[in-house]
Amino acid sequence: MEAIQGEAIRLSDVWVAYSGSGRPAIREINLKIDYNSLILITGPNGAGKTTLIETCLGLLKPIRGEVFLLGVNTKSRKIIKVRRKCSYVPQDFMKPPYESYTAKHVIKLGLATDMCLFGLSDLEIKRRILNVAKMLQIEDLLDRPIGTLSGGQQQKVYIARALVREPKVLFLDEPFSSIDEESRYVIAKVIHEYVHQKKACALVVSHDVDPIIDLSDIIVHMDNGKITNVEVN
Amino acid sequence: MLEVAAIASLLSGGLCGLLGYYAQRFNIATLSFSVAHAALAGASLALVIKSDVTYSALVFAILFALGMGIISTRISPHERELISMGFFSLFNAIAIFMVYMSTSYVLSTVSISVVLWGSVLAITKSKLILLAGITAIFMLYLFIFKPQIDSILFDRKLAKAEGVDVDLHTIVLLLFIGIAIAFALRLTGGFLVFTLLYNPVASAMQLVRKAQWQQVLAPTIGMLAALLGLTFSYILDWPVGATIAIISSTILMVAYITRTIINMKLSREARRAQISRGR
Repeated sequence: MEAIQGEAIRLSDVWVAYSGSGRPAIREINLKIDYNSLILITGPNGAGKTTLIETCLGLLKPIRGEVFLLGVNTKSRKIIKVRRKCSYVPQDFMKPPYESYTAKHVIKLGLATDMCLFGLSDLEIKRRILNVAKMLQIEDLLDRPIGTLSGGQQQKVYIARALVREPKVLFLDEPFSSIDEESRYVIAKVIHEYVHQKKACALVVSHDVDPIIDLSDIIVHMDNGKITNVEVN
Repeated sequence: MLEVAAIASLLSGGLCGLLGYYAQRFNIATLSFSVAHAALAGASLALVIKSDVTYSALVFAILFALGMGIISTRISPHERELISMGFFSLFNAIAIFMVYMSTSYVLSTVSISVVLWGSVLAITKSKLILLAGITAIFMLYLFIFKPQIDSILFDRKLAKAEGVDVDLHTIVLLLFIGIAIAFALRLTGGFLVFTLLYNPVASAMQLVRKAQWQQVLAPTIGMLAALLGLTFSYILDWPVGATIAIISSTILMVAYITRTIINMKLSREARRAQISRGR
């Protein structure tokens, strides 16, 4: 499946437009992302950062160019299986107060594709959940309904859900937006350690660059749907 | 005969209520509405070609569910709604046209009542066994794929991003809806079969907010409406489909009024609490 060694994501002259919109949301995107790297994507509102992440995952299809995720073209149906090796933390994550899934259940849902009849054992699932909860310091939240948690606490639960999958590629869209100052640095460190321990790669879209800029291997600046600058740290 | 009809009404009401819950949570209520009318068109065609109403409805509903299920993975939800409504009109027209084309002999048989308003007589033991089989298969499907389905219900986009085959599960759900409707149609008639799918979940959503409770309440209301409808139709000699529709619509109205009263009470209490805090 991993056709090109060392290369996790490749975008070649990618243009993406939303239906009904005449203007492409991203254009002329050329990017190659290797394993064992943490990429920070930054830029103003409407720069196309979220569109870029969703295009890499194959949730949006390019109108021009090609995207390869773990060596598989995102236009292929094989991409569904490839996504099982990836994790995503979306920007719009808030659940209403009456949502009764507990934090533990939400994290466990991240393992949905591994929980078929002959999949992960209950013991392994429990071990993984406790492990990520400890890393992100959310052990005390596990039995609380997700809807009763604050925005920051919910965001940590989603990051835990992403990590529990032990992905090859992590996509995080504004992962610090609701989290307090101190916890931002803890989470940035957790992501950085995960990437280098597991030889994975992470794409982090963030306005708030302070917690993660020094830990990033590559910083991609976007504006008006285009990559304007790529810095190697 | 009445025992068979009672069991069939419980099974149809429960299965359609549960499928309605998933159709609503998967955001395919309009599409399932069109599937119901595809079954009606198929059932009506059976009047002209003189075949079994259920099997003809089954073929139409399955083909449409499969076709639209595949197409809907390639179009936006808005386009899907528009196309579904277009097909709804087309299937109604086909149904009326087929009834018009039927011979006077057909118009005097039980088949026409099955298509238009349902019939207790139309539910045979063999159809009941098939309905029970479909219910068992659907429950097994829910059991095997529970983690993936829960993931879709929690957050469809996130589930897709994590490699859950959301499109495939949507098509499978539509197929189950098509099959269930083809059987339930014998009880309620083609024009009213959608009430078994929609009214129970709409009532459950008015009465409880937690999804887990809605999942239990929707099939319970479906079974209650179908059984009460059957009982009243037997006692009052009313058409069974219309009676079930009246009962389930009444439950929906009562649920809506209850929710409105609860909301009014809650907002009054919140206002009082605000005023007392101000003092």
